Amino acid sequence: MSCSSIDSKLDLKAYLLGEMPQREKATLDAHVRACTNCREELERLRLTQTALLALEEEEIPQRIAFVSDKVFEPRWWQRIWHSGPAMGFASASVLALAILVHAFARPVGMPAASPVNTAQIDVSKVNQRIEQDVNARIAAAVTKAVADTEARQNQKLTKMLEAAELQRRGDLAAVQQAVRYYDQQMSRLMVASNDVVRERSGQ
Amino acid sequence: MIFREVEDRDLIAQARRGHVDAYNVLVSRWEKRVFNYLLRLVGHREDALDLSQDVFLKAYQNLRKLDDPAKFAGWLFRIAHNEAYSLLRKARPEGELVGEPKTAESSARMFPMELSLAVRGALARLSGDQREAVLLKVYQGFKFEEIAEILDCPVSTVKSRVYTALDLLKEALAPVNMGGAQ
Repeated sequence: MSCSSIDSKLDLKAYLLGEMPQREKATLDAHVRACTNCREELERLRLTQTALLALEEEEIPQRIAFVSDKVFEPRWWQRIWHSGPAMGFASASVLALAILVHAFARPVGMPAASPVNTAQIDVSKVNQRIEQDVNARIAAAVTKAVADTEARQNQKLTKMLEAAELQRRGDLAAVQQAVRYYDQQMSRLMVASNDVVRERSGQ
Repeated sequence: MIFREVEDRDLIAQARRGHVDAYNVLVSRWEKRVFNYLLRLVGHREDALDLSQDVFLKAYQNLRKLDDPAKFAGWLFRIAHNEAYSLLRKARPEGELVGEPKTAESSARMFPMELSLAVRGALARLSGDQREAVLLKVYQGFKFEEIAEILDCPVSTVKSRVYTALDLLKEALAPVNMGGAQ
């Protein structure tokens, strides 16, 4: 390294300020030992740096103590919010609670109630309304059951009457047929007896 | 230095979890450096103290935004830089942004030694950008890359400011250095 091949002043400042890579620093060390100009320049820079560092730091006149104030502490929900596992557990708990509330607060088969202001709910009115609703539903169910039973009975009776009519018609037809057969037999018997009488009288 | 960085990182982690005492320890470690940096930027003790309090308050409020706790120092000084410039913009909307330190006469009570007066006078003759670059490099010991992040400018700009300032300071302090060398 020579003064003509490098920007020695810049390198000397980088060297002084600790910004020079170790390998280049060794090279510059060797150069400074051999070069009077660079050695004197580096000495001037060192004196300047020493003079600057002679300016002592002042003590802070008042300790900064605001951090001890509770106001600056994160609130409980902020701590939970920034805590992954706790936030997950809290979410799961809220979900489980919502499921439980839904299961116990909403009767089976009833449609979901419209949102109401819980602050305005009167318990006695709610109970009365529920009782009326249940009674109305029971009455409707009984009426429907009776009507269904009557309908089924009527339908069964109709079928029995139809069957009896068919049976009657069948019996009547059988009697009529038997009567006709009896008449025929009687007629034949009468003819046969007349023939016998005529033969005996002809002899 | 590495041991201290590890400890700072632990304190930052605890402060992030809401442990105010841990942050208090962190403040006690850095408050003197931040205060002196701000004092030499704005040149006024009360302003520097107020700014220091604002800096540590903002740092606490934004601690969770710090991506790498190992870069806490640079991040803290960037807040300090922004706070100082915000104050100086209000004080001097159209003039020189960085405040000049008190002159030798007014600072004689704080720094009675002749050398200190000469240094303060030499620093006062630098431009605001040059002075801040010297404060961060010579007094706070940041690397050029860290200073570039604090000042939000290219590394080449930082180098240029520091090297130019060194030349000016060398000339300004030559009589003191010659006297000291004799």
